[in-house]
Amino acid sequence: MDAQTILVVEDEILIRFILADSLRDIGYQVLEAGDGAEGLNILSSGQAVDLIVTDVRMPGEVDGMELTRRSKLLVPGRPVIVCSAHLFKSESFPADEFLAKPYSIAALADVIARLIGDPWQKSSQAHSA
Amino acid sequence: MAEELPGPQCLIVADADVLIRNALAEYLRHCGYKVFEAATSDEVIIALEEGAMKIDALLADVELSGQFNVFELRIWVRDRYPDVEIVLAGNIDSAAKAAGHLCDEGPHLQRPYDPESVAAHIKRLLAATRR
Repeated sequence: MDAQTILVVEDEILIRFILADSLRDIGYQVLEAGDGAEGLNILSSGQAVDLIVTDVRMPGEVDGMELTRRSKLLVPGRPVIVCSAHLFKSESFPADEFLAKPYSIAALADVIARLIGDPWQKSSQAHSA
Repeated sequence: MAEELPGPQCLIVADADVLIRNALAEYLRHCGYKVFEAATSDEVIIALEEGAMKIDALLADVELSGQFNVFELRIWVRDRYPDVEIVLAGNIDSAAKAAGHLCDEGPHLQRPYDPESVAAHIKRLLAATRR
């Protein structure tokens, strides 16, 4: 069984690369998008995405909040983690988790594992099934 | 004393279309490369100037946008980073073929699947988003 797929949406290429590379090292499949519009393009392409990690402030018409809303319309149960230096949590905002920048990869990995499990768990479940 | 194995070589895949970029980058990762994904020539420059890794090759779409067009970018890269191999691709098929050649050259000398499959996969994704 394939590892879970995470969509990382971040407009700063070096942060995006480090995030995506670290999550790949953990064992997840990772798709990268440079802004919200690219993120939506991936979601509407039919590729399986188990979880989204997105920045809030990004250039273009689709910011992290809009991307979260659109993702929840498409797949209500798919978790979204929102990361921002200007963090707020609103009851009306449908993200599942908020992470304040700067955050550690370990902290992000913990949140992801809580929401969708870690790749090793999924792998061992597949072997024992 | 055991011979030290080289680390994975590092590439930049530059294409404004995220579906093409993702698919080419994923194919090259399966070949063993570390891959930066860049949407514009500005992101290519940031990856070269500020990325911590030495870049071995740049695979770029000819219609890449940004501060520089792709031909200006090629001049800029050749001037500052003459060791970086630059491969320009004009369409999906030529981009997939170029990725296949990069796979043949290393670092694992093994193709995960045919470049034609990469091109077909990209075309299916693009068709899905246009429905």
